[in-house]
Amino acid sequence: MRKVLVLNPADNIAICLEDMDAGAVIDQDNLKLTITQKIPRGHKVASKAVKKGEGIIKYGERMGHATKDITVGEHVHTHNVLGDRLSTEVSK
Amino acid sequence: MSLTGYKRGDGRWGFRNQVLILPLHQILSAAARDIENQSTGAVAVSHDWSQMVEKDQERIIHLLAGNATNPNLYATILLRLGTPIEDEVIARAKSYGKTKLIQISLSDLKSLEKLTQSGVDEANKLLIQAKTEQRVAAPISAIVLGLECGGSDAYSGITANPALGVASDKLVEQGATSILGETMEILGAEHLLARRAITKEVGAQIIDVVARYEASINYEGIDIRGAQPSRGNIEGGLSTLEEKSLGAAKKAGNAQFTGVLEYAIAPKKAGLYFMDTPGHDIEQLTGFGAAGVNITVFTTGRGTPTGSAVMPTIKVATNTEMATAIPDIIDLNSGTIADGTQTLEENGEELYNLILDVANGHLTRAELGGHHEFNLSRLYGSSL
Repeated sequence: MRKVLVLNPADNIAICLEDMDAGAVIDQDNLKLTITQKIPRGHKVASKAVKKGEGIIKYGERMGHATKDITVGEHVHTHNVLGDRLSTEVSK
Repeated sequence: MSLTGYKRGDGRWGFRNQVLILPLHQILSAAARDIENQSTGAVAVSHDWSQMVEKDQERIIHLLAGNATNPNLYATILLRLGTPIEDEVIARAKSYGKTKLIQISLSDLKSLEKLTQSGVDEANKLLIQAKTEQRVAAPISAIVLGLECGGSDAYSGITANPALGVASDKLVEQGATSILGETMEILGAEHLLARRAITKEVGAQIIDVVARYEASINYEGIDIRGAQPSRGNIEGGLSTLEEKSLGAAKKAGNAQFTGVLEYAIAPKKAGLYFMDTPGHDIEQLTGFGAAGVNITVFTTGRGTPTGSAVMPTIKVATNTEMATAIPDIIDLNSGTIADGTQTLEENGEELYNLILDVANGHLTRAELGGHHEFNLSRLYGSSL
């Protein structure tokens, strides 16, 4: 059984298919990583390191950008991601 | 797997050979249902249009005429009061397709009882005639697929929608037509979808359709971008509006967009389209029916029983919990992707095969359950 779902090879996130605790090891489909914090089922984990300002890629598309540096195994969500469109509007 | 269907006189293909009972005024809706119940297999729809002169008249005439001539129909029995506006609907229907149209008018029969009896007799006669039509080998290009989601949940965007995308891509690649709707649902990702348009013009149309929708919503004082993703979405794991909209649009896979369609308007050639439709599930289905869609796939997280009188509607569950709890409305479970027991590609392949099975005559849960809702979409309220 897979523990995470990779939607597109270009993605820098994967979807957790079960509730994850820090220390959980993922080893499947050429993806090896260690979860570094608690992540709920259905939420995203960084499968690649992402620098502040870089795009978060899901389905091979840019769904927003990192608001801080994100390390592999970290929870990727509203605390470290912002939509590109919304942030443009806010900065206006 | 080979595909079979009914080749219609206008060149379109049907995968069902139904007889539809369509009232042309709301007060004949009960008679339509009576005819359905007393016939040996006709399907009736009802609606609330009372033929008032409205700004929406053109839209309503098109929806009625388009559904009356959907290629899945062998014949349509039109229940009339005998008014001139009904002549307009019928003239329009004749220009849309070759579906056999039978008119039964209350002003001729002067009795609802006689109208119902006449409808039952006609329906039963047509149902026997329909059996003489034979399925013949059909090309994949015969498929005009409608893509829909309703009662979405946190898994829609990672299970059923991308699985449907796999199936849609495979069909489009082989010459089929596939139509994604729900303008509201692509808001925020329109710039990303526009990049997948076949030409710059088509890309600009995708952006325009969303801008038009957003302007109409802003006019009502609603800031839809600011309210999305909702708190429930965020709890489910969605972080941005783009992410939510990309998940909804994933039903259309990765294929290029050939064109943009106005609501309920039929595409002129094969390929993947975006249609500007309301978010309302049944209004979207009614629009697909009028546009000649002959099979629809509907992904659902909470379990929506909705079906159509003119199109088989395949219901795909986004999560195993719901698929297990309400098995009598679900045709395929994509929750297996989130369970980790099936890959997206495997589940998408299964859905592709199910689409062909259903096209070949396998009945959907919605058809078995008699779910065939119908709703006329209006832009304006009644003016009189």
